Amino acid sequence: MSSVVRLDHLVKQYPNAPKPAVSNMTLEIPEGAVFGLLGPNGAGKSTTVMMLCGLMRPDSGSVAVMGLDMQEHGAAVRKKIGVAPQEIALFPTLTAYENLVYFGRMYGLKSSHIHTQIKKYLSVFNLQEKAHKQVGTFSGGMKKRLNLIAALLHQPKLVILDEPTAGVDVQSRNMILDFLTDLKSEGTSIIYSSHVLEEAERICTHLGIIDEGKVLQTGTRSTVMGDHPDCFNLEQLFLKLTGKNIRD
Amino acid sequence: MKILSTIYKEFLLLVRDPGGMALIFIMPLALVIVMALVQDAPFRDYQEVKLDVLFVDADADSLSAKIRQAFSASPNVNLILEKDSAAAKRRVQAGEVKAAIVVPPQSSVRLRNKTRQVIANVFANFGLPAQVDSTLLPSTDIKIFFDPAIKANYKQALSGAVEKIIANVQADWMLDELQNQLGEGRPETKKTEINLTDIIHVNTAYASENKYQGVMLNSVQHNVPAWTMFAMFFILYPLAGNFIKEREEGSMLRLRLISGSQFPVIAGKFAFYFLVCLVQFVMMVAVGIFVMPLLGLNRLVLGGDALNIFITACAVAMAATGYGVLIGVYFKTAQQALSFGSVSVVILSAIGGVWVPVYVMPEILQTLSRFSPMSWGLEAFNDLFLRQASIGVILPDVLKLVGFALVTLSASVLIHKSRTVV
Ligand SMILES: Nc1ncnc2c1ncn2[C@@H]1O[C@H](COP(=O)(O)OP(=O)(O)OP(=O)(O)O)[C@@H](O)[C@H]1O
Ligand SMILES: [Mg+2]
Repeated sequence: MSSVVRLDHLVKQYPNAPKPAVSNMTLEIPEGAVFGLLGPNGAGKSTTVMMLCGLMRPDSGSVAVMGLDMQEHGAAVRKKIGVAPQEIALFPTLTAYENLVYFGRMYGLKSSHIHTQIKKYLSVFNLQEKAHKQVGTFSGGMKKRLNLIAALLHQPKLVILDEPTAGVDVQSRNMILDFLTDLKSEGTSIIYSSHVLEEAERICTHLGIIDEGKVLQTGTRSTVMGDHPDCFNLEQLFLKLTGKNIRD
Repeated sequence: MKILSTIYKEFLLLVRDPGGMALIFIMPLALVIVMALVQDAPFRDYQEVKLDVLFVDADADSLSAKIRQAFSASPNVNLILEKDSAAAKRRVQAGEVKAAIVVPPQSSVRLRNKTRQVIANVFANFGLPAQVDSTLLPSTDIKIFFDPAIKANYKQALSGAVEKIIANVQADWMLDELQNQLGEGRPETKKTEINLTDIIHVNTAYASENKYQGVMLNSVQHNVPAWTMFAMFFILYPLAGNFIKEREEGSMLRLRLISGSQFPVIAGKFAFYFLVCLVQFVMMVAVGIFVMPLLGLNRLVLGGDALNIFITACAVAMAATGYGVLIGVYFKTAQQALSFGSVSVVILSAIGGVWVPVYVMPEILQTLSRFSPMSWGLEAFNDLFLRQASIGVILPDVLKLVGFALVTLSASVLIHKSRTVV
């Protein structure tokens, strides 16, 4: 199986930060995987995601997505991947529908295609009734779902989701996880950053547990668990690897 | 297509932002109407100065009559009769009037005698028969008192006028005398008429170069293009505000995630606000033409060629929008962008001649004003409105504006690009 993402000795330190947010991270994510990028707060998940989609330049090391180096081919790669950032990235005074139409056009999609895609996803994520309401009036969970749709409109082969279920209720979370399972079965690779371990246990085929910008353990779910026969579940393993200290 | 979608998106964002709408469409209207009304009187002052001057006629003879006649024909001077010269001096000192002209008793007689003596001397020198009187005659001594606060050019104009009148009267009388001496038996000799009416003209121009001198620059004619310029540059407020809001709210991140080129995003924004600027322009000009007269102000006269006006408006709109985009791209927080942006527009407008025309400014500010894009626009509009200038005349200003737009836009694209990847 070829890899969809390859991180090679990636380092990133923010200006004025005492230590690097990502230090010497090497990871390989196989095509078709649902990869759980797991780590406590401040572990470096979002920083890794930003470098993955080429919006942040690593201090050293390299990122290759679908075999293309992000430094050189960032723009071309971004057309083929869908990213739902951790923070909501929508126009609050536009309606859900207007937001999606605009993004669809900016993806360069055909008008008719845009409308069928939008209708499909609004119904998948149960937003069709609110389609013509301004996003600013939405609840946090609704915004999160819409934020996810914005990453999917152009049918990307790789979807990168940074904590898509944070602040979302049980029903919505369930809906999102079901959707991701379906998406995987269609052959889409998914990178899923989270610190909610039951979710990872439910949908992920591969795991990468990181902390302080370093990869602590990575591999398929079964190999990772198999390496630690003393841990009954992922949470025990996670605590064993990352310690019990509270993060800032 | 992407640009069109961005224009439509910007349109939706703007119409759903009541504050921004008010700032773009209501503030400029209020501003231009208020400023035109406030400056109406001062502008009339610049043009239609009517100087009150006391006139003490102790002579009550032909010389004083000539002076009075000459001044009454002047549109700039209003003579007020005053009997007592001491009282006249006091009134000038009190600042009640700007000047007083005192024609002492016997002035006409003295001037006539002096004239006669001069002519007789001339005749004697040529060996012609004449009665030469070599006694020193008292000279005519007309006094002008000035308020120390009077503008120097008024002072010069007034004393110059009086001197000229006296000189003319004297010349007239010399001719009379010559004719008297020579003209016996030649009754057909015509007396030369000297026209005194156009001797007096109080020139209100300022010492510096003013190329609009003599053209009607009234309050409306100044304020409408001036505040239109201001309003168009103030577009940076909603434009940069909106830009930074997009960055803070994250929608900019979505756009960065979508594709490689940010060009359609910037170009669409630019195009939309460019159109808004043109709408502002049309709106302000319409107010100048249709609303100002209803308020008792002058009607805005467009004068020049519609195409040239359109070209100039486009150039200003480009410059204003380019500046707004740059401010929006450059500053990290809305606070910084909006305070720097609005203060800079106020400064550029002040030195650009929006508040008061450039030609009444001190020399140093006039030099500075050449660096304000608003002065380029204003200059071009004044050329068009007041002097029906041809495209050749406004072209340098138009090119400067377009150049300014290109520079700000390229800088914006570069800065924006450099921040797309951090
Ligand atoms: N803009 C920034 N400037 C300076 N330091 C930053 C910045 N963004 C993140 N950091 C630091 O970098 C480290 C990694 O942050 P990152 O956001 O990648 O973590 P994360 O795993 O996504 O955390 P969370 O689960 O809370 O989202 C943290 O120590 C954080 O404080
Ligand atoms: Mg994060």
